[in-house]
Amino acid sequence: MNENELELVRRQIQLTFDEIQYLIRMLYSTKDYHTKNLTLNQLWNKVSLLHFLTNMLDQQQISSTVTPTLPQPSQPAPPSHMNQTTPQTVPQNLPTITREQLANATGRNGNPAYVAVGGIVYDVTNNKAWSAASHFGLPAGKDLTAEFASCHAGQQWILSTLKPVGRLV
Amino acid sequence: MIDPHHVLPPEDMSNEAIVRRLTEQANVRIQNGQLKKKKLVWLELTGCSGNIISLMNGFNPNLEYMLTLMVDLVYSNSLMAAEGEEAIERLMSVLDEEFILAVEGAVATKNNGLYNVIGRWRGKPFTALQAAKMLGEKASHVIAVGACAVDGGPSAAKPNLAECVGLSDIVKRPMIKLPGCPCHPDWFLGTLAHLLMNGVPELDNMDRPLLFYSTLIHDRCPRRPFFDKGIFAKTLGEPTCLFKLGCRGPVTRVDCPTRKWDGYVNWPIGASTCIGCSQFGFPDKMGPFISYDITRE
Ligand code: HEM
Ligand code: SF4
Repeated sequence: MNENELELVRRQIQLTFDEIQYLIRMLYSTKDYHTKNLTLNQLWNKVSLLHFLTNMLDQQQISSTVTPTLPQPSQPAPPSHMNQTTPQTVPQNLPTITREQLANATGRNGNPAYVAVGGIVYDVTNNKAWSAASHFGLPAGKDLTAEFASCHAGQQWILSTLKPVGRLV
Repeated sequence: MIDPHHVLPPEDMSNEAIVRRLTEQANVRIQNGQLKKKKLVWLELTGCSGNIISLMNGFNPNLEYMLTLMVDLVYSNSLMAAEGEEAIERLMSVLDEEFILAVEGAVATKNNGLYNVIGRWRGKPFTALQAAKMLGEKASHVIAVGACAVDGGPSAAKPNLAECVGLSDIVKRPMIKLPGCPCHPDWFLGTLAHLLMNGVPELDNMDRPLLFYSTLIHDRCPRRPFFDKGIFAKTLGEPTCLFKLGCRGPVTRVDCPTRKWDGYVNWPIGASTCIGCSQFGFPDKMGPFISYDITRE
């Protein structure tokens, strides 16, 4: 972002604050149920917009190479330091996990949800993209190296967002 | 760069306002002759008619507005008065003219398309496959409406006896994709208005208009604070995050949380999990829709 664009974002933030204040005053002054609901919904929108705008400024500070584009389904631009094609640096002292143990980690009935990619086992129990311990038809408890390679080629950074828990033996 | 034409506050920035602005502008330009009404063909292939029904539930604008002010609807088997061969005749008459093609439903390919015959023409069965090819090639713009037209959707779910596929597998050309089961009336009408006025809206790398399909449901979900604190519902009735029950909001990009449905009153997560109906691969890849044995913690 250049100076002009930064300025625009700041101005938007300021305007959004003003609008939020206006909406709050409106909530106090109306008795109409529908107007209240509508106003609350608008407030929610404004807060999310603020969230988005401040994130954009934060990102700008972390690394000026990250362009805050609109989110793409193929993942937003990964921070450049995560953009390497070799597996991420994982802790050396990980315990070994057998294929049997992996097969039990289905994320059901009290078992954690594990998936293996490239010999490393990751915990996806609470990963947002793995609700119901499954992701695009893939169940947890499996070695998904091939699937990861075909579906997320060039997106190695995804692995670095996961928690490594062991080495597959 | 930020475009000088961007609309900024204090103009209303809500979702409803965006679609309203587009459709009203389109109307003004049609009225004062800057824009010519285009012909629209709505083709219904292998599906459940859900998208045309959803469209009839549009509010901003409504169906009547679209039909009388925005386009000249030449063919829609659900809405037109003509029937039988006469209806197909109308469909054929458009081939020599400029028209926009909206397609709902998948294309059944088994036995050369005979699993879905949409009419008769010159005494012979006229298949969805033939129609898709014939009209798809000639249209000025193609809009795939709903999950089935986009990538097969429920019509192509296992075991897929009719060997259904999405429109883009049959018609090899650029097209706008509006996944969803069904497609929200605003997604279609907003895209149509944009198309009439400014051409094809900006699309993502899966051909969906960024206008509607750019934010993750999870990022705007009113239950999100519960997710962030790890408070997960055990049954559908609870007001907390539905993640452990199988919510697909975290992998589905579309504006349901802020747009809402049925006249903007409620939406799936208002009552149950998001089943990812606007995500590619729905429904097979979005299952299980609900599970009760998922580990918490
Ligand atoms: C059938 C193969 C797969 C498909 C089609 C697929 C598809 C996708 C898509 C479309 C998204 C992005 C959703 C969005 O934000 O719009 C995503 C995100 C994700 N995928 Fe996959 N995926 C596959 C396999 C895998 C595997 C094997 C893993 C295992 C580690 C994985 C881990 C993730 C994670 C962690 C995210 C979230 C990334 C983030 O933080 O935004 N995926 N996947
Ligand atoms: S209910 Fe679904 S979309 Fe909403 S916060 Fe929970 S997981 Fe995310």
